[in-house]
This record gives sequence, C-alpha cells and structure tokens, in this order.
Amino acid sequence: MSKFFKSDWFKCITVLLLLSVILGGTLAFLNDLLYVSPKERTQRAIKKIYGVEVTLKDEDILLDVDNGGEEESNEFGSIQKIYKINDDLLFKSTGGQGYKNGTITLWLKVVKTSDNYKIDKVVLDGYEKQTLMSKFSQSYYDKFLIDVTDSYNNGNGIFLFSPKDEVNKLQNPMTGATKSANAACNAVNTVIKYLTDNNFNVGGNA
Amino acid sequence: MKTNIKKIATDGVITNNPTLKLVLGTCPTLALTTMAMNGIGMGLAVTFVLICSNVLISLLRKIIPNQVRIPAFVLIIATFVTIVRLLLDKLLPDLYESLGLYLPLIVVNCIILARAESFASKNGVFASALDGLFMGIGFTLALTLMGAVREVLGSGAIFGVKLWDFQIGFFASSAGAFFTYAVFIALFAFFSSLISKAKHKKDALKEREENAVQLEKKEVE
Repeated sequence: MSKFFKSDWFKCITVLLLLSVILGGTLAFLNDLLYVSPKERTQRAIKKIYGVEVTLKDEDILLDVDNGGEEESNEFGSIQKIYKINDDLLFKSTGGQGYKNGTITLWLKVVKTSDNYKIDKVVLDGYEKQTLMSKFSQSYYDKFLIDVTDSYNNGNGIFLFSPKDEVNKLQNPMTGATKSANAACNAVNTVIKYLTDNNFNVGGNA
Repeated sequence: MKTNIKKIATDGVITNNPTLKLVLGTCPTLALTTMAMNGIGMGLAVTFVLICSNVLISLLRKIIPNQVRIPAFVLIIATFVTIVRLLLDKLLPDLYESLGLYLPLIVVNCIILARAESFASKNGVFASALDGLFMGIGFTLALTLMGAVREVLGSGAIFGVKLWDFQIGFFASSAGAFFTYAVFIALFAFFSSLISKAKHKKDALKEREENAVQLEKKEVE
C-alpha cells in the first residue's frame, strides 16, 4: 500500500486533482464576485444608446423575459425586451439564420416622430456562433437607419432588410460574412414586423 | 543566483521578441491588429496572464511532477485567462467585446506555454515574473505598432481618432495583416543584424586593443 502512495502515478493524479480543486474554487469565487447581472447588462446597453444611465420604472417595461415575460417571435427572430424610455421604444431583438444557424442580438431604439416610428439607433448586444463579428463595426449597424423605401420589399408592403441588398450595401463587402449579415438583418426585421403587426405606424427610416 | 534584470528585459522586448523574433502568438497578431487599441488591450491581457502564470508555475515547479507538467501548466494558464475574461467583462466591457473570440484563445497562445516550459519551470519566482512582464511588453509593443500602422493606413485613424479621409482598404483586410506582419519582421531582422554587426565590430576592436596592450607589456618585460 505504501508503495502505491509513493508511486509517480499517485503523485501525478494528486497534484492535478489538487490544482483543479484549488483553481476551480478560486474561479467559482471570482465568478460570483465579478458576475454581471442581466439588469447591469441592460443598463450598459441603455447607456451606450442614450449616453446616460436611465432608471426604468415598472410601467416603462413593456416586455422583459428576465422578469417572467414571454418573448415575441416571428419568422425572422424574437424580441426579449421592450422598454418605453421617454417617448421612444427600446427593443432587444435576436435575429436567426446566421452563420452555422447562429444568432445576432441587437438593441434598437425606435423613436416616435409626429405620426411615425422610425429606427434611430442600432447597437450590437451579443451573438452566437458568428466568427467574423469583430469585423462588423458600428458603421455597419448605422446602415439600418437609412430610408429603406428602395430596398427589398417582401410583397406585403413591409420594407425589410436583406444582406444581399445592393442599394443599401448591407452585405459587408470587406468580410463577406453574408450569413452573419443575414442574422443582423433578421434582428432588425423582427422589430419592423412586430411594429407592423401591432399596428404601429412604421415610416420614415423604418 | 543573481537575477540579470537587464538581460531578461532585452531578451523579452528585443532579442527574443515573441512576435517579431520568435514568431509566436501569430493568430491574435494577425486578427486583432486592425486597431492600435485592440493591440494594447490584447497585449495587456496576455501580459497579465504571462506574469501570473509564470509566478505560479515557478512557485509550483518543484511540486508538479515532470510527467504531468504540460496539463498542469494549461490548467494554470486557463485559470488566469478566465480571470482576465471576468475582469474585462466587469470593468472594461467595450474592450471585452472588441477582443471577442481571441480573449479565450489566449489559453492556446504559444508564448505563454513556451515561457512556462522554457523559463518559469526552471527559474525563481522573481526572475519568472520579470520574464513574463518583459515578454508581455515585447508582445504589446509589437501588436500596438502593427495596429497603429494598419489603423492609419487602413482606416485613416489612430486610436479611434480620425486623421484624414484617405485610406487603403487592403491594410484593414486579412491579406493586409500578413503583409504588414511580413514587413515588420523584415524590418526587425534588418535592424537586428545592423545592431549585431556593430556590436561584433566593437567587440573585435576592443579585443584587438587588448591584444596590442598585452603585446606591448610583453615587449617591455
């Protein structure tokens, strides 16, 4: 038995196990300490869009899946959060059918003009399985703010974005990441479809 | 044994620069140098991991059995990379987002494993920490310089500040990354050989002078 405890095999296993336990414990502690809650992430996104922190009241939260709400889905993707900030609507929308069937999640600020709602700002929140995302700069998302009247029309009178859109050049020519661009377009289209289906007056930029 | 700080410093930053001389950590070098800020961010993250992993590996070098040293090193490196990820996500979310996929890939960065294997596992804690620091500085400098050149030429900006509208799209592309890297390596090799030749010449001159003095002494005797 003592031979077993003095063997190299035993030493190797013990050292590796001890290292795993100690380092794992340290990581577990730090994970708790440095945890970023969904609320904090939402505040970060709001700050990125509005430049200041905004305190959300209960009546401003129209939809929040983190607070027990049910996400709104359509053929393009799903909406996880809708906040009413001042007179604007802030959407957190996830578009599907990206690279390797992954997704891209965007924050969209939709502002109310005299008789329309239009997309005013688009900011990236996160993504899944998209390997070329570091090459998508903010200028790419700003392309969703232009007048889309001339772009692809799906035949139902709703103007939707497409990565193969030659007019607005939404397919990033530098990366050639058409599938990721498709997911980004779908995230925006999800919101446009939602606004249309819910009888919002979509016009202007959107 | 006395630590030769000057040698460790020149080794890490110039003589054995991990990016330009040893050609290690090529993946983040090529992918992340579209902007100078990315270079600094990645460089500092790698420096943190290098220092911490070198110190811990040096401390445990007599405890870790030789047969399992590589898995143990990887375990230690992975822990520090995870700590960097947690810290950046909490404190610098913009940088965390811009580094993206390449941050967890620090685990497989050859520089860190190479320094753990060739230096930290054979030297004391202080020397290992210094080696991590200077190797990290060498890596950061190379990435930042490459990032600055590519950002100026490819985007007409530096550290995100727009300089002019003129830009050459090639430098922002992957092919531009390979080209810039090749030019940097060539320039580094050229200046290294110039310095080395000058040093040899100086040494030879010194040796000749010493020989002449010794000959003179012998003749006097």
